[in-house]
Parts: sequence; C-alpha cells; structure tokens
Amino acid sequence: MSIIVDPVQESSFEKPDRSQLWYRRLLANQQFLLLLVTIAIFVFFAFNRHVFASAGEFGNNVTNFCTLVLLGVGETYVIATGGIDLSVGSTVSLSGVVGAIAMEHLAMHSELLVLSVGTVVCIGIGILVGVVNSALIHYARLVPFVATLVTWGAGAGMCLVLTGGAPIGQNSGAIALTVPKIWIFSYPALIIIAITFVAGLFLHLSRFGRFTFAVGSNAFAARAVGINVKRQVTSVYVLSGALAGITGMFVYMRLGSGAPTAGTGQELIAIAAVVIGGARLTGGSARLSGTVIAAWMITIVSSGLIFMNVSPNYNQVAVALLIATAATAQALRKSARQSS
Amino acid sequence: MTSNSTPLYEVRSVSKNYGNVVALRNVSMSVGAGEIVGLVGDNGAGKSTLVKILSGVYSPDSGELLVEGVPHVWKSPHEAMAAGVETLYQDSGLALDLTIGANVFLGREKVKKGFLGKLGFLDQKAMDQEAADDLERTGIAVHASKRTVGQLSGGQRQAVAIGRAVAWAQKVIILDEPTNHLGARQAGEVLSVMKAAKARGLGVIFISHTLPHVLEVTDRIIVLRLGSVVRNAPTSEFTAESLLGTITGLHVGTE
Ligand SMILES: Nc1ncnc2c1ncn2[C@@H]1O[C@H](COP(=O)(O)OP(=O)(O)OP(=O)(O)O)[C@@H](O)[C@H]1O
Ligand SMILES: [Mg+2]
Repeated sequence: MSIIVDPVQESSFEKPDRSQLWYRRLLANQQFLLLLVTIAIFVFFAFNRHVFASAGEFGNNVTNFCTLVLLGVGETYVIATGGIDLSVGSTVSLSGVVGAIAMEHLAMHSELLVLSVGTVVCIGIGILVGVVNSALIHYARLVPFVATLVTWGAGAGMCLVLTGGAPIGQNSGAIALTVPKIWIFSYPALIIIAITFVAGLFLHLSRFGRFTFAVGSNAFAARAVGINVKRQVTSVYVLSGALAGITGMFVYMRLGSGAPTAGTGQELIAIAAVVIGGARLTGGSARLSGTVIAAWMITIVSSGLIFMNVSPNYNQVAVALLIATAATAQALRKSARQSS
Repeated sequence: MTSNSTPLYEVRSVSKNYGNVVALRNVSMSVGAGEIVGLVGDNGAGKSTLVKILSGVYSPDSGELLVEGVPHVWKSPHEAMAAGVETLYQDSGLALDLTIGANVFLGREKVKKGFLGKLGFLDQKAMDQEAADDLERTGIAVHASKRTVGQLSGGQRQAVAIGRAVAWAQKVIILDEPTNHLGARQAGEVLSVMKAAKARGLGVIFISHTLPHVLEVTDRIIVLRLGSVVRNAPTSEFTAESLLGTITGLHVGTE
C-alpha cells in the first residue's frame, strides 16, 4: 500500500498535541479562557458590591442576558456563513411593535391567547425580515452588510411610522411573566435558554450546521459537492430573523409594551458577542458556546458598572474595550501558534 | 477494451464563452472504462473550463454530454457525482475550516440512526473512521481525521482531495493538476493512485503541465490550444518534444 502523507512527518505533527499537558490544552481553548475571564469579572464585581452575587441580581442578569443571547445565536450562524446581519436590532423593535398592535386588537381575549398570537406575529415579522434580507442578497445581489443595512434602516423607520414614537400597549400581565419563578429563571427565560442550547447542538452536531460552516469556509467546494448554498444562506438569515422576533416578544413582555427603540443598538452588541466568542468574521469558524459566554460577560459588565456607580454612558466604551481585548488576544494567540 | 463502441463518458462539440472570451470551441473528447486520458495545453487553453463542464459546475453554451452513450444535462455538480463522476478541482474543492473526515463526507454526510438522524444529527465517529479507511484504501495515510484541512500542508491537502475523489468515484474520475504542490515522491504516488483507479475499471481524465507524468501514465493524450482540440492520439504516438511542440503550436515537421 502506497502512502502519500508521510507517516513520519504526520506523527511529528501529532506529538506536540498529545504530549501537551491537560491544563495547557485547556488554556489554548478560547472558550475556556473566556469563561475564566468572565468568572474573574463576576468575582470582581461581587467582591466590591456583595449584592451583585445575590439571587435577585442574578435573576436580573438572566433577564438582560435573554434580551441579547438569541441575537448572538442568530448572528453566530450568519457569521459562520461569512455573512453579517445588521438588521436584528431593528427587527427586535419592529416585531415588538407589530406584535403589540396585534395584541391590542385582541385585548378582550384570554391572556394566553393574546400572548400566543403576539409570539407568532413577532416570529412572523422576524422571518419576513430574514426573507427580505436573503432576497436582497440573492436577487438584488447586495453584499450582506448592505442588504441588512437596508432592512436595519427600513425596520427602524417603520417602527417610528407605526408608533409615532410612543410605545404601544400596557400589558402588566406580560411583565409579571418575566419575573423569576424557578430560582433565578422566569418561564420565558427558560424557553430562551433551551432554544440557545438546541441551536448549539444543531450548529455543531447536525448536517445543517455542517453545511453552514462549509458555505462560510469555501462556497465553491460546498456547491461542488451538491450543497444548496443559496438555500443555506437563506435559512440562516431567516433563522436570525426568527430569533430576533422571539427576542422582540421577550422585550415586549419585559417592558409590557412595544417600544419603537426597544432593540436599538442591539445588533452591534450581538455582533460583539460573536466576535468576543471567537468566531471568524470571514466565516467558516465559530463556537456557539463562545457567543453565549461572551453575551453573559457583556451582560454582567453592563450591570456591574451600574452597581459601581459608573455612568451607563460608559457601557459602550466597556463593550468596545472587551472587543479590542478579545480580538487582540485572538490575534496574539494565532501568531504564537504560527511561530511555534 | 470492454466497451470499444460506447465510451464511458463523452463530450460532443462543446463550446463555452465567458462574455467575450471563447474558452472552448467545438470540443469533442471521450474516456473509456479503464483508460487514462491526458488533457494538456498551455495556461488558459481551456482545460479547467472543460473540467468544470464535465463535472457539472458550468453548463456548456452548446454541445452534448453522454455517460455510457446516454445524454445527460447536469443541473448541478451533485448530479454528476450521483452519476459516478468525481472531480478534483484545480482551485481546491476542500473547506479548510472543516476536518479531514468532514471534507471526505462533505455533501454526503452520514447521520445517526433513528430520530436524531431524522433531525440531521451527524454520525461523526462513523464518518471519521470510514474517511480514514477510504483514504488508506486509495493509498493515502492520514491518521487524524479530526484535524482541519487548513492545518495540513499543501501536499497533504492535495492528498485528501485526491483520496476523496477516488474513494467516491463510481465511473469517472477527473483530476485537474493533482500533482500540484506535491514533492517528487508524492507525485509518483498520485500516478500510482491513478493506475490503481484504472485497474478498477474507472475512466481517468488527467490534467497536468508535467509532461513526463502525462507520457508515463496516460493511454491517450488530448491537446487543447486556445479552446480547441488540436490533437487527440494514443500516447505512443507522442515523444516529449512532439508533445511540447503540439501544445505550444511552435511545432513544425509532422504533417
Ligand atoms: N470564471 C471565468 N470568467 C471569465 N473567464 C474565465 C473564467 N475562467 C476561465 N476563464 C478564461 O477562460 C480561458 C480558459 O481558462 P481555463 O481556466 O479553462 O484554462 P486552463 O487551461 O485550465 O489553464 P491553466 O493551465 O492555467 O490552469 C482563459 O482565457 C481564462 O482567462
Ligand atoms: Mg486550469
């Protein structure tokens, strides 16, 4: 049997990996490092303000986390294909507003029915935005950045048109549902966490996830083996839109109304979470666990700063610092790996 | 020898333009079972374009493709693969961020049994194992199917791509400059892989600029120049000089 890949060379490739100590391997794992840093940040805040470690504050953080994490999940899928979705923040607002209008019309009915219809409407709006995004990409031939910039602007504008700038509705029953019921979790929060978990399984263990990465890694190769690249790209934008719609419903419940600016700026924080989580913006490489840890990190930094009496205006500066640190660490680790 | 009358895979009068560029003009060629056909020509002669038509990446502007005498129109490369035509592309058909195992099974993933499989969950273990076996059977030893292809050397990547094509090919295997990036010894191994494929009864189309390789391994040579076939003859009719002359068109002598 002839051998092409030189076995000697091959095993010298392997050796450093095998002989590496377990803790060195862990430290080489970006998601693990991120987790360590996040725990350190938490300990720092908790040490300075003990109430930060209380169950009540944990619950608040979980709720805040739930307004972000699904956007990060959708963005992770999109970025894995080499795209970007700038529209998710607007979609949160738009779906919340349209959902609120629908729910106002149904106000006479049972709360369960009202909220169910609201959820369906929100997800529907999100899917619609995703379909428009992929139509702009495939038929108008816009690059994802421009396509989703268009829907970002259109969505934000529609929110103002529909509301005249004021929030719609006043649903205290919805607000009550976002209060923690099981330890630090509300029911909607549990649903969002479950969705996140399932999305992670699908991204990393299923054919759908495999195709997502293949498209982002080498679209030509993906097409050549029969992967429907267009359909895959469409699916991830629709998924991202749908998750933004669910987030829109959650934010509506939290506020008890559909606010035209409910999701403003969230797209950048979601993208930040994906980048801090270790994904490559050019596609082909991402870890959902990284995105989730980063979303939690951003959440506790934002609330921790408030506890430390730092003006909330510094929030974005802090997120910017996190991005810079994460990106630099990534670049340094990469160059260290290449030179070793 | 088995099918003198109907070739395994044939193209008839295929033409292809890219805008104003005429890449192929009325090209006809064929490959039989157990035959290695060399496709040679200068840079830009149209070899890769012909490959992409044969593999279903492009559809020709005019002309016909026939598999065992039956006309086929490929709507996608997948259809050509399903019909038994495997292709190694010059501009790598591998996804560098995916593992070796994932690349070998790309587009043909194995899923788990039962409900999880219906949801599309992958049987990665089985694929890694089979990928390693497949590659080894074609003469390529790659131990760690779990490494991403991006972590391999250029030659190792090429080996994986060749192994994938050979492992899946049912009828025809098209190799566009497979010895690129390879050292002399590994290039020799690729030639043996081709001979083994021929022995299995596959039709092999071999594109290369390394003329000694072409002369060594092929049964027949087709010379493309500026998108047209200028010579299609058994390898025994060529010498190194006459082949080079035919390719460049600077050849004077034979009529
Ligand atoms: N996608 C494309 N768009 C436009 N023109 C193209 C494209 N691909 C190839 N061509 C042109 O078609 C002609 C044939 O190219 P092709 O790649 O088939 O040549 P080749 O014989 O494979 O060359 P090489 O030996 O350099 O690989 C060239 O003139 C090339 O510039
Ligand atoms: Mg070529």
